[in-house]
Amino acid sequence: MDYNVCIAGAAGDGVRGGSVILGRVFSSLGYDVFVYQEYQSLIRGGHNAGVVRASEKKVHSHRFEYDAFICMRDYVFEIHKKRIKGFVLHDSAFECDHPDTYSVPMTDMVKERKLSPIFRNAVALGAMCYLSGISIEILKDVFKREYGKKAEPDLVLADDGYRYAEEQYDPVREIGKIGDRRPVMAGNDLIAGGLVQGGLECYYAYPMTPSSSILHLLARQKLAITVHPESEISAIMMAIGSAYAGKRSAVGTSGGGFALMAESVSLAGMAEVPVVIVEAQRSGPSTGMATYTAQQDLYFVLYPAHGEFPLIVASPLTVEDAFYLSGELLNLAWKFQTPAILLTDKHLSESYETVSIEPDRVHKEEPEIVAMSDGIFKRYEVTESGVSPMAVPPAIVKANSNEHDEYGITTDDAEIAERMYSKRMRKETGIRKTIEKLEPYRIEGDGDTTLITWGSTYGAVVEAGIESGFKVVGIRYLRPLILPELEGDVISIECNYSGLLANLIEKETGKEVKRILRWDGRPFTPDELKRKMEEIQ
Amino acid sequence: MKLETHARNTWCPGCGNFGILRALKNTVAKLIDDGVDPGRMVVSSGIGCHGKIADYVAVPSFHVIHGRVPPFLTGVKLANPELITVGFAGDGDALNEGMEHLIHSAKRNSDITIFLHNNGVFSLTTGQATSTSPRGFRGRSTPYGNPEDPLNPCALMIVSGATFVARGYAGNVKKLEWVMYEAIKHRGFSFVEILQPCVIFNNTWKLYNEKVDWIDESSSDPEEALKLSKIGDRIPAGIFLKKEKDVYEDVIEKPEKMDISSFLDKF
Repeated sequence: MDYNVCIAGAAGDGVRGGSVILGRVFSSLGYDVFVYQEYQSLIRGGHNAGVVRASEKKVHSHRFEYDAFICMRDYVFEIHKKRIKGFVLHDSAFECDHPDTYSVPMTDMVKERKLSPIFRNAVALGAMCYLSGISIEILKDVFKREYGKKAEPDLVLADDGYRYAEEQYDPVREIGKIGDRRPVMAGNDLIAGGLVQGGLECYYAYPMTPSSSILHLLARQKLAITVHPESEISAIMMAIGSAYAGKRSAVGTSGGGFALMAESVSLAGMAEVPVVIVEAQRSGPSTGMATYTAQQDLYFVLYPAHGEFPLIVASPLTVEDAFYLSGELLNLAWKFQTPAILLTDKHLSESYETVSIEPDRVHKEEPEIVAMSDGIFKRYEVTESGVSPMAVPPAIVKANSNEHDEYGITTDDAEIAERMYSKRMRKETGIRKTIEKLEPYRIEGDGDTTLITWGSTYGAVVEAGIESGFKVVGIRYLRPLILPELEGDVISIECNYSGLLANLIEKETGKEVKRILRWDGRPFTPDELKRKMEEIQ
Repeated sequence: MKLETHARNTWCPGCGNFGILRALKNTVAKLIDDGVDPGRMVVSSGIGCHGKIADYVAVPSFHVIHGRVPPFLTGVKLANPELITVGFAGDGDALNEGMEHLIHSAKRNSDITIFLHNNGVFSLTTGQATSTSPRGFRGRSTPYGNPEDPLNPCALMIVSGATFVARGYAGNVKKLEWVMYEAIKHRGFSFVEILQPCVIFNNTWKLYNEKVDWIDESSSDPEEALKLSKIGDRIPAGIFLKKEKDVYEDVIEKPEKMDISSFLDKF
């Protein structure tokens, strides 16, 4: 069973919420689910779509073609027409020019119940469940879990939609239960969860798509001290303040906000303050396409600020991976007392997947921290590893953006400067050794040709690649970049114009790397990739 | 308790900053007499001559970057409310770059103190006009005279929601100590503008010695405080505003411990 359903309408039609509800319905039946959402940067009107894929196998991507299309507005039908290979379920308020349509009077039913048109999605989901051979009780349970006592209108209208479809039509499919319910979560939910599991206590962020839902979740669930200050600069400076005082802290933003943070990232490098930065990429340059995905910020994040300092950069490959990597980065930042960046993207941050998280795989690793001192603490003691003993107030610990001596006092002495700078840079050796023992990359499948990728693109690549007999490599750590042996043809697949990872691999290995790229703000689907791979071979 | 460090002081002879440093050390000594652990007093400074003060006193400190002292200290306070957060900033540092933070920290009523060394000039970069340089000021970036009017830092802070606003003068260490001590003791956002002569680029010793009037009057009413702080022919110094208000770090939502499996179960 592999079922790919798209629901599309205007902003305000409950398309995004509806797609997650539908995903959770399939997950309740034991299927693996992936939910992709595409929306415009507007509040009401326009075009929003959610693609819900349910499968018997583990999936990290939606498919290009739809087995079913739920149409909430007449004008969105044209946008999706070419992709519809199955039936169309639509509001009877308009017609859809398609051979296999199921019309349900969604608008009329909502009016009859004297409810807001936003509830049309409940009617649609009720009818959809009937047509898919899914019991209405499953949908009602999901609504109840989601909205609690506020679920009443959804429950009534879902019933109305289900009953109407039952009277008028025969089911198109019989989707049975194959397993137990598992959580369906977005990448950002698990970034928040992974950070908290890694010991996060303070989170500072200025809203910016596609990172904002981390801020919203942590604030709503009170999982950390959560502050939305006046700017991204303030956010990272607050994080640096909290980390200096001994609390694990993180910030989240996208490329534009990260640009504002750059000066403070350099400060954290110089003063050896552990801080985790989540950079969720969206299509640029500048404001670009604010709600669309991209992998364009790689070089910006690898070398974001003035001066040289150790920096750790990693990018999760799947929604589940976001949990483990976030926790891991927080631990690494504290172990090596330097900033670490989780580089994600809209497609990973805001897409939902069925997840089976093993929380115990992430735990807070506690480095020794001194909180008392006799006189000024030697916070920047020169050591072989470059990692100095850590202290927090009330120890007399002096940190400094200026070059400083072992006590944190400003210096411009050539000899001291030489020693302190190299002390910091020596940490890179330890960082590399540690990350080599973690999972710097993931290899799946076997084949003469290697498909290599990073970030959310891995989801489509691993599916298309394995099915077509390729070896697939997903790079998790980007700084330090640790590559496996690459033999045979190598094709890099990325959402950017120049093949940013491909360039790095060529530089590192001297090997020529082919490229499959897109920069239109849309993620790859396995179907499209298979076609592209046939073209390139 | 030795408050000196091994740092060599690099301010110019005759610099107004020496008066501020002396007042700070005396204030810290007084706080220690009150029973405060000096390790609890976190000092932060920005970029400019004032910034060096962090090196010169043996308490926890962080010499940060231009204009960013207020959010740094807010982060410290949020992480550990037991710490006393004392910031030093320059006029260029807090009013040119970093103005957003100063205003928002006042608006939040974050429990931090900011001492603004106001010398009316960028000194460490060899003499350019700042937000508080008078109109007509001839600096290296305004060689034919500053075309802009200066800001009034105290007025700005009063209207932004600061709950303690004062003006001090580096030339009267005793009075400055009094203001410093009161500012640090105040719960909420405290702002002290310290008039600080720069002997090289904006020598105001004579002007301030003649014009500064210390006043004892203080108000809890911002409108009244604005009047008290107003600079005319004379320059008033003293505590203009002191009022009680909820402190940001007290009212902000505190995290609730949640088991990760109950978190996952929400989805």
